[in-house]
Amino acid sequence: MMSTAFSILKKDLRMEFRSKESILAMWIFSLLIFVIFNFTFEVSRLVMLEIAPGLLWVAFVFSGMFGLNQSFSMEKENGNLRAMALMPVDGGQIYVGKFLSVTIIMLMFEALIFPIFIIFYDLQLSLGMFMLIPVLLAGTIGFTSLGTILSAVAVHTRNQQILLSLLLWPLVSPIIIWSVTLTGMVLSGEMTEACYPLLVRVGAFDVIFFTLSYMLFDFILED
Amino acid sequence: MSVPALEVSGVSKDFGRIIALRDVTFSVQPGEFVSILGRNGAGKTTLLNIISGVSRPSEGTVQLFGTNPSDRENKAKLAVISHEMFLYGNLTALENLEYYSRIYSVPDAQERIETVLKDVELTHRRFDLVATYSRGMTQRLTIARALLHEPSLLLLDEPFTGLDQHAIGMLITLLKRQKEMGRTILLTTHDLHTATALSDRYLVISKHKIVKDGLIVDTNPDKIRQAFFSSEVEEGVS
Ligand SMILES: Nc1ncnc2c1ncn2[C@@H]1O[C@H](COP(=O)(O)OP(=O)(O)O)[C@@H](O)[C@H]1O
Ligand SMILES: [Mg+2]
Repeated sequence: MMSTAFSILKKDLRMEFRSKESILAMWIFSLLIFVIFNFTFEVSRLVMLEIAPGLLWVAFVFSGMFGLNQSFSMEKENGNLRAMALMPVDGGQIYVGKFLSVTIIMLMFEALIFPIFIIFYDLQLSLGMFMLIPVLLAGTIGFTSLGTILSAVAVHTRNQQILLSLLLWPLVSPIIIWSVTLTGMVLSGEMTEACYPLLVRVGAFDVIFFTLSYMLFDFILED
Repeated sequence: MSVPALEVSGVSKDFGRIIALRDVTFSVQPGEFVSILGRNGAGKTTLLNIISGVSRPSEGTVQLFGTNPSDRENKAKLAVISHEMFLYGNLTALENLEYYSRIYSVPDAQERIETVLKDVELTHRRFDLVATYSRGMTQRLTIARALLHEPSLLLLDEPFTGLDQHAIGMLITLLKRQKEMGRTILLTTHDLHTATALSDRYLVISKHKIVKDGLIVDTNPDKIRQAFFSSEVEEGVS
């Protein structure tokens, strides 16, 4: 029954938009990155185009970390993690709910930050940029599907944020690197047939990460 | 005899070198109200955690209504009240109860929510964030949340500790009503008064073992007191 996942999703989004904790942190962090890179380094437009995709993903994934940390921190309050372990539901449903809420928050953030990024770096909008939609979607889902289960692991420990970083970065870096490559291709208008295998590869990793996490989540909730 | 509501057999639990429970065996019939007595560190909380399925025994087995505690049907029948609130401060009382009623698939949820809110006298504050509640109000809402899905087995871990007078009275009334409705109740306490006033039966845990299992009706309070304190004296020696 998907209704459990949707109940969790609804609760998470409601709480997130009410407290705005991670949303605010995401914005401040990303704007800071853009400002720093824009005003500290005097680089030519050509070089800018080279580093822009990486910059964009740095903003995305570091902001995503705030969302991931927040997603299970809010469950730590008042023993709600224990309450989750007691709920008469499939652990996979809890995973889907948590995954969806983090993913939606991140995608919304990406959609809002991208225009600012375009303006800051004076990039040319083109029709080909529509290809960014599947690229951002695939990269983000890879990041959040893995990040959700790892932050559920990390939340039981005292050094939650450090552990999350240590676990997440090595595993997720191929996806991020491929996403940066793909984003670069789209931004420079070189999104050719040759890019599709790479996009498919990111998508395949998404499916693997998601499926494994879905199946394993029951074990994570027990202490 | 019918299937026991709870059957604990040969349960032991260690946390590394720390012993928490040693070979605990007892069963509880449906509709029984059992108090588990024991001083701090005796293993009461560990026992309840194993019964509720959130913690695994190192040895032995637990069955709820004849099946595994972590079966979904069992989780749906279970309520736990402990010092943990199981509430989101950033949601209103109503939003908390609505969330949990969906998770527990409570039928006629709106009606049920109204009832439990009235039971704990929080109807007038249902639209306020739980974070703005006083301690006593939060505790009352915790009780309402636990009873929301009409559990058939209630596990209460020192439920009166830290409760204000108003909430204590309310919880006693609600527990008596739960008992009348035939619910099975297990309550840990270090207070003899609540044990004798509410329950049918008592177990004394001392040094991680059950040292006494008796019915309240055929035991006068002095006997229980004796059992409880003699176990404490023993512990004092070790
Ligand atoms: N998670 C844990 N890790 C290590 N030791 C624990 C843990 N939980 C309980 N204990 C130990 O197990 C023993 C029993 O604890 P507990 O069940 O909480 O007792 P009670 O609830 O009767 O006060 C104590 O010695 C306690 O320190
Ligand atoms: Mg305890």
